[in-house]
Amino acid sequence: MKKISFHPLTWWIWCSAIAISVARINTPVFALTSVGVVGLIVFFYREIAPWGKTFMWSLKLSLWILIIRILTGLTIGVPIPGTVLFSVPRIPLPHWMPGIRIGGDLTLERLTSALSEGIIICAIIVIFAAATSLTSPHRLLRVLPVFIYEFGVSVVIATSVLPQLVTSIGRIRQAQRFRGQDIKGLKSYRRVAIPLLEEVLARALELAAAMDSRGYGMNRKQTRYRPISWALRDSAIVASGLLVMGLS
Amino acid sequence: MIKFSHVSLVYPNSTTTVIEDLNLEISEGELVLVIGPTGSGKSSLLRLINGLVPHHTGGILAGDISVHGLSTRMVKPGGLAHLIGIVGQNPLNGFVADTVEEELAFAMEALNMPNEVMRRRVEEVLDLLSLVPLRNRTIATLSGGEQQRVAIASALVMQPKVLVLDEPTSALDPIAAEEVLSILHRLVHDLSLTVVIAEHKLERVIGFADRIIHINGDGRTIVGSPEEIMKISSIAPPIVHLARVLGLNEVGLSVRHMRRLTENIRNSTSIQEKHIDAPSTKTVIDIEKLSVMYGSHSVLNSLSTTIFDNEIVAIMGRNGAGKTSLLKAIAGVSENHSGVVTTHSLLSKDLHSKLRRQTIGFVPQEPSDLLYAQTVEKECAQADSDNEIADGTTLSLLHHLVPGVSPTTHPRDLSEGQRLGLALCVVLSANPKILILDEPTRGLDYEAKKALTSILLEFCSVFNRTVILATHDVELVAELATRVIFIADGDIVADGPTHSVLLASPAFAPQVFKVMSPKPWLTVKDVISVISVKPQ
Repeated sequence: MKKISFHPLTWWIWCSAIAISVARINTPVFALTSVGVVGLIVFFYREIAPWGKTFMWSLKLSLWILIIRILTGLTIGVPIPGTVLFSVPRIPLPHWMPGIRIGGDLTLERLTSALSEGIIICAIIVIFAAATSLTSPHRLLRVLPVFIYEFGVSVVIATSVLPQLVTSIGRIRQAQRFRGQDIKGLKSYRRVAIPLLEEVLARALELAAAMDSRGYGMNRKQTRYRPISWALRDSAIVASGLLVMGLS
Repeated sequence: MIKFSHVSLVYPNSTTTVIEDLNLEISEGELVLVIGPTGSGKSSLLRLINGLVPHHTGGILAGDISVHGLSTRMVKPGGLAHLIGIVGQNPLNGFVADTVEEELAFAMEALNMPNEVMRRRVEEVLDLLSLVPLRNRTIATLSGGEQQRVAIASALVMQPKVLVLDEPTSALDPIAAEEVLSILHRLVHDLSLTVVIAEHKLERVIGFADRIIHINGDGRTIVGSPEEIMKISSIAPPIVHLARVLGLNEVGLSVRHMRRLTENIRNSTSIQEKHIDAPSTKTVIDIEKLSVMYGSHSVLNSLSTTIFDNEIVAIMGRNGAGKTSLLKAIAGVSENHSGVVTTHSLLSKDLHSKLRRQTIGFVPQEPSDLLYAQTVEKECAQADSDNEIADGTTLSLLHHLVPGVSPTTHPRDLSEGQRLGLALCVVLSANPKILILDEPTRGLDYEAKKALTSILLEFCSVFNRTVILATHDVELVAELATRVIFIADGDIVADGPTHSVLLASPAFAPQVFKVMSPKPWLTVKDVISVISVKPQ
């Protein structure tokens, strides 16, 4: 079965529209529904390629953001009175910082407000990650004009080398496991980071050399082998996104 | 076509010249082979041709290189894109597009060629390299051999006059390598393409070469016909070593030629039963119904086998047959696997930290993944402290195995062979009971390979340990392994002593056997042992 291919801008426009709606409606219920819908679309249309994993990574990242947001929201900031869940000792602050406190009574109201804010922030991150998952960076690059040669080179390198990072991290962590190293903890990051950094730099240089020797940037104008066309379905998707944004 | 006049090259912060006063003219339709030890500057020489050296890398270049009348001093590499196609060592690192067709069109798009021309040329090159069935595939999903063909195609689509390839077959299995090389041979003969190629595995390419450039590593270069170079070069394929030890007047470069030269020897010696030690029966690794899945794709289907004490097992098979997956499952770090792997009656996936180091030593395909320190010395010290052994033990092991490594060098600056040696020492410092190596000879020259062979043989026989290695290198297997497991499509299709497995398959037979068949000799050593015993 051949997958339906969309114009590379389609999902970016659609996801931006949905993200704007999430921010405007500003309720966690709508945010969660959007994440659900986006998740379904990613499940059906994501590409089996390194960037296809961005969505899953963003979900993991969001979970961390949510936890941190709730912890800080509960303990730091302007108190909201209400049902007290439990109390922790309050850290005294100088008198010129009125209204702000650290610790003290942790209320249910503060928990819900931190949670809903956190959900909305994360939803927006996840929606943009979905756009990345759904669109090949190489194809996206092809529809964008080549302004400046150096800019083009760095974008191609970023979009093709960075996704491979995920694969490399896995490989290097595995190698460290072979060496019987603990792969948890802060120290292990250094052990992964150094080989990784070296590899990424080497690869980026190699790719730049390859592009250079193939004549990239010799002409300001570029022809298209397979012009990417805008189809009716792209218009329909973009229209649906804009409609949601308009209604919000 | 290509003219080097008084070319010298020095890299900044380096005390040695890579190339000194090279004068050379390569004419149209010639296939020139560049040989030399690792790190001697083969890649630099190739990259000089289209100006990547020094435009991209820096370095001081004296003299002049011109291609089809264009001097690389005057033009940037991009300006030679229509004249020179260059294929790097690892094609995957040079791909810029997602699918095969887009990759092929990339350079033509960059040069703003009209659409009709692009269409026609893409079709032509797809046919030329039999890539039609792959045209819409995602490049990341192709096998190594297919990727190499795509890389060559994307260079040829520009209809260059010169094709430059850096170790095009080093990552390929013997059959895929054969395919790539025969394509090159055809291009040289049909289109009169000029080809410059660097390669370590001479047994694969030497038959195709018109001329050889031998780089010494100290700046000196020797240029000559394959026959001339092979008479003097220390870098030589097994077939040449065979001719030397047999004291033949001529050096045959093809199996056919050598068979003619050695007809008498083959007929005059009688086959001797080779004495084979009774295999050990002490089980070291037991694999039971091992399956590995990646998504819905099955890589290994329910394999069962037992590996014994004191064995050197070579795992062979096509690119993508599941060799690496098997090694990882044995080491117990593979996810998504079912079945049981026990090593020394411990479940290998439950091994961790010190116990893991002492049970299984694993050298991955990229040995540098294991290394993270800033100098060789620190790396060795880390291994010492990890394994609670006396300071300096690992470093002295390194000096024993790979002499001449400076302790203050950064691991990244070592040559391919030295880096492998360092990784091997780090692994060996834990004194593991089993040693696993994944493609250890990629990018190694003959010297480094010989050193590796003797290290592994010593490890196995003196310390009574087990070695498992995955490799494409038939000659290495012939020298080293006691047993071969051949995997195809996730199944074990052959498993037995090296002799019987290698001799049963024409594609995987080593060169010496091809020359000496039907005599069951795999290596030059085998031949010597019989010839010297032979009553004169």
